[in-house]
Amino acid sequence: MSTREITVTVNGRKRTAHVEVRRTLADFLREDLGLTATHLGCEHGVCGACTVVVDGHTERSCTQLAVQADGREITTVEGLAAADGTLHPVQQALRDNHSFQCGFCTPGFVMSIYGMCEEKKAGRPVPCSREEIREELSGNICRCTGYQSIVDGAEAALAGAGTDTTGGQA
Amino acid sequence: MAGGSAISGLVGASVHRKEDRTILTGTGRYIDDVQERGMLHCHFLRSSVAHGRIVSIDASAAREVEGVVRVFTGADMSAITEDLSFAQPIPGLNSPSYPAIAHDVVRFVGEPVALVVAESRYIAEDAAGLIEIDIDPLDPVMSTTAGLAEGAPELFGEVVPGNVVHTDEQLFGDIEAAFSQADHVVEQSLDQHRWACNPMETRGGVATYETGSGQLTYEASTQTTHTLRFLLAGWIRHPIHQFRVTANNIGGGFGLKFSAYREDVAVCAAAKAIGGAVKWVEDRNEHLVAAGSAREEQLTLQAAVKADGTLLGLRVTMKLDAGAYPINPPATVYAGLVRTTLPGPYKLPAYQFRHHIVATNKASYISLRGPWAVETLVRERLMDKIAETCGISPVEVRTRNLITLDDQPTKMITNVTLEHVTAAETFQKLVEMVDLDEIRREQEAARKEGRLLGFGVGTFIEPAPGTQEFWAAVGFPFGSEPCRIRIEIDGKVTAFTPQTPHGQSHETTLSQLIADELGVGFDDIRIVYGDTDATPFSMLGTGGSRAATMASGAVVYGSRELRKRVLEIATHILEASVDDLDIADGVVSVKGAPGASVPMAQIAMGCWLAPDQMPPGTNTEMEFVANYDGEGGGFSQASHACWIEVDQDTGKIEIKRFLVVEDCGKMINPAVVEGQVIGGIAMGVGGMLLEHSAYSDDGQYLTATFMDYLMPSAPELPEIEIEHLEFESDKVVGSRGVGEGGTVLAPAALLNAIDDALAQVGRPRVTETPITPTRMLELLGVIEKE
Amino acid sequence: MKPPVFEYVSPASLDDAIAALSAPDAGDVKVLAGGQSFVPLLSLRLAQPSLVVDINRIDELATITEEGGVLTIGSLVRQRQAEHSDVVKKACPLMAEAIPFIGHTAIRNRGTIGGSIAHADPAAELPTVAACLDAELVARGPGGERTIPAAEFFTGFFTTALAEDEILTAVRVRAAGPATGAAYEEVARRHGDFAMVGVGAQVRLDGDVVAEARIALSGVDIAPVRASKAEAALTGRTVDDSVLEEAAQAAVAALSPSSDLHGSAAYRKHVAGVLIRKTVATAAARARENR
Repeated sequence: MSTREITVTVNGRKRTAHVEVRRTLADFLREDLGLTATHLGCEHGVCGACTVVVDGHTERSCTQLAVQADGREITTVEGLAAADGTLHPVQQALRDNHSFQCGFCTPGFVMSIYGMCEEKKAGRPVPCSREEIREELSGNICRCTGYQSIVDGAEAALAGAGTDTTGGQA
Repeated sequence: MAGGSAISGLVGASVHRKEDRTILTGTGRYIDDVQERGMLHCHFLRSSVAHGRIVSIDASAAREVEGVVRVFTGADMSAITEDLSFAQPIPGLNSPSYPAIAHDVVRFVGEPVALVVAESRYIAEDAAGLIEIDIDPLDPVMSTTAGLAEGAPELFGEVVPGNVVHTDEQLFGDIEAAFSQADHVVEQSLDQHRWACNPMETRGGVATYETGSGQLTYEASTQTTHTLRFLLAGWIRHPIHQFRVTANNIGGGFGLKFSAYREDVAVCAAAKAIGGAVKWVEDRNEHLVAAGSAREEQLTLQAAVKADGTLLGLRVTMKLDAGAYPINPPATVYAGLVRTTLPGPYKLPAYQFRHHIVATNKASYISLRGPWAVETLVRERLMDKIAETCGISPVEVRTRNLITLDDQPTKMITNVTLEHVTAAETFQKLVEMVDLDEIRREQEAARKEGRLLGFGVGTFIEPAPGTQEFWAAVGFPFGSEPCRIRIEIDGKVTAFTPQTPHGQSHETTLSQLIADELGVGFDDIRIVYGDTDATPFSMLGTGGSRAATMASGAVVYGSRELRKRVLEIATHILEASVDDLDIADGVVSVKGAPGASVPMAQIAMGCWLAPDQMPPGTNTEMEFVANYDGEGGGFSQASHACWIEVDQDTGKIEIKRFLVVEDCGKMINPAVVEGQVIGGIAMGVGGMLLEHSAYSDDGQYLTATFMDYLMPSAPELPEIEIEHLEFESDKVVGSRGVGEGGTVLAPAALLNAIDDALAQVGRPRVTETPITPTRMLELLGVIEKE
Repeated sequence: MKPPVFEYVSPASLDDAIAALSAPDAGDVKVLAGGQSFVPLLSLRLAQPSLVVDINRIDELATITEEGGVLTIGSLVRQRQAEHSDVVKKACPLMAEAIPFIGHTAIRNRGTIGGSIAHADPAAELPTVAACLDAELVARGPGGERTIPAAEFFTGFFTTALAEDEILTAVRVRAAGPATGAAYEEVARRHGDFAMVGVGAQVRLDGDVVAEARIALSGVDIAPVRASKAEAALTGRTVDDSVLEEAAQAAVAALSPSSDLHGSAAYRKHVAGVLIRKTVATAAARARENR
């Protein structure tokens, strides 16, 4: 069994661990670090439930190996809300719009929308119309909602992005 | 609006969901999040052969793998478990029992043939790859037609003769007379494909056996903890008093998680045999292949109608492809639901319904959100065909046949009383919001530009929760719903429900009801669910869109009883009569005298700690179990309109607009209602246009990943407009379920829109689903059918 | 759905990577780039290599350069990076048009240009772009570097001319000049899915006349297909409806796609014609704008 020592910064905290080289990043986050917010809906890169932010970009954590995350910086849903429980503005916008139902796909959507908001803050082009938001969210599958409420929430989150100064720590 | 409704204050408002803080921060506990001490991991080896006899199985190499704790073959598992049996005393039902792990014959691709328990899922999968199994193939039966054919291979021999699980014919009214009086006989058929629930969280469970106490706990992703418990206890030979089933966050169910499955049996038995905690989480590949699919039915209809479109009679034949193994509920329930509901909100004087439920070499036929849905699909398409035959509009044909409030109470031909049913009123409202003449003008203008538009409507009733008569006709019990409510020592409230919500927001809606009824703060209420040790018994859990009526009723009646007790005690403390008292924000006060008040916390503390010192003759029990009988139950209803554009170059269908007029009575939380309606429609649209649980002719499963099983994503779905009617009956709980209706009705409106587009260019109607781009171009005559 | 056991190296230099690939005891070696197709294949255990050579640390493979009218895109350049690159947009507008059709943002953030080409999915966008533009695919092995013309690179269903000990290091295309326009279109069941049919077209005009037409299709064969008959039908002609129709018919007549659950052979042929007409018309219009 081939293993490696890796050091990954997750939600601002440095974590060192021995991992088997075949272990996926998602399993490392969930099983080894106990960060079970990142969900596995398909394990083959289609459903988007395992989306995390790696070095500033949204990526699937089921389609990369934990060893590949060595030296990188990762944000998961656990890293968004403030320590006192105050929701990140993206989470708050989604809550205000009743965006989700069963919650299983939710962390992936939150991270995708968070990623869009970070792009906007960085001055890069982001979707504006509802149609564009739908296209941008096409890499996340939700079975409950029919997406309309998620688009509502994403629209609100994007409108607020770049204008807020408070909120989460990430 | 009737006077009996309890509901005011928070109820009726789109209150923020209690569930959201947890799910948005990722702090929920879904089944794969569970990490018990020393927990082992399961992986099932599954058959790659659709039908065959197991000649030999050799797991010796797998047992040698480091980290493998135990390998169970079929024989190993059958030594410690009973076969699963869903047999019920239903006349003519041929329900084979079957082992948790196959040991003699395999009957579908994906059937479990061995279970590996190891220190990690990775190792379990490594070891499964080393198991050698020799299966002697038998001819598979891959359709109802093949299964019913003379000389077809029989899946279960004499247990299911001729592969017929059940067949029946029922007659209502004088069908011969209806057809002899008909001006037209309108025929229609539909062959619906197999598609699946596909919750984002698959099936799974963690079984933990404590060797010292003999206690077994099964934490599962289930819609029904109590039923799972009593079914499993027998099959795993475990005393039920030492068996607890729990559920925490559940990542969707849609009907799938209503049954107990052979994997549940194997996982619980493995935990007992090994003596510890064992986790099984189905991966998506397994889920698609083995969890089962729904909706595979073929129907033919003949309608006897008068020249003006009035329905005289209906003959229906249904064949249902049940797959290999029965699950809960028995397939006769599906047939009963389709038969009973099919006349819908229309006057129908005579009716004949015949069905054949056929065993095939596929995964089980399962419940999927509105499992009776095909009745609405075929009926609403038939109404359009009647309109076309009689030269009237789709609106006229419905208006002429619909049962209005003025006609009620009345009986459906299937012996179900309809009262307060407003399908006709939702349809009338829909028609008012739509200008059919303008739509026809737009369609004509579009055709001149080479564009093709379609428009379709539909209406229906949803048995949510249905009535005693309805469920008796179906052949399924209609139980009452319990809820235990407790005012805690600090005046806050805990309610224990047998519901197992998985997205339906019951923590929110039930709290809204309790807050209004008891006068306590929304945040001072907790809803406990998913624990057979804590919640009162119910066979149903969350399913059948019952909660809006049944669970709501239970908390309303429970709250009222506790309120009565609190107020009675307060009359002594405040020296005022009950009528002069009110409770708000957890404080009982005398109306008009805000100084004269006592906190509920003080009363509760007295009742819990010093009941002897409370006013004599008062009831100091601060906990009460209410049972709600549903006040006779009732129906939800809705009408849908769908506008589409067909791309004649690519066969792709774009839904341009989708309008819903729905009436589920009093909405407890409109945002929750709309979420259910829109999500339901999305599922119906996905089922008709994208999703397909497809098999090859030799029984291989073709759509085993999300690359091939196409779940609808955001760009494939329309923005949905909803109009609510909120007609209320004179019942205490004026709320009806709304969880399944979107999925039931949307396919009808969509297919009617597609047929409408096809008709404009002189092409035939849809007879087979799904409507893929290829099929659409074939229907349009652009390409040849293969 | 967990990856099988394998050995793993992540060299920081190309030489080390090639050494790992060509080691005598290496066994069944696979190169891991973006992993957006490969890691799922591992999880489904459809790939069970003995050694995985991860090239993600080889920074020299992650550059985009344009020199002497030739655009060179390192194989490790992320699809999203190329999508937003002004250099790519200008020198290889066809690629910039095609990339947004690949999967979704989170896929493109990780997926690489070279990974997609070396994976050689016949329904994928970048192999089609490479075939359309007669890209040169640069490979390095123990014997040194060689360039493989796209026409020889894609040899079949998920197979290429790369030797087992070679790594695709870069894609080279001639930078698009003036009076050139490109368009990419595809029809998939859903947004972001692999195409049932995709078409890339690039047109260079001389006045109003087509000086050069390049058309390639995805999803219609075991590898990307050049529509050479259609290109010939367009060359020297002024693009109008009848010429487009002639070109499309010529291309479609030469196709023999197979059927699957998502689209029949007849469907693919029909849509191929539709997309050829559409993309060539758009490419020609853009070429006119760029004169």
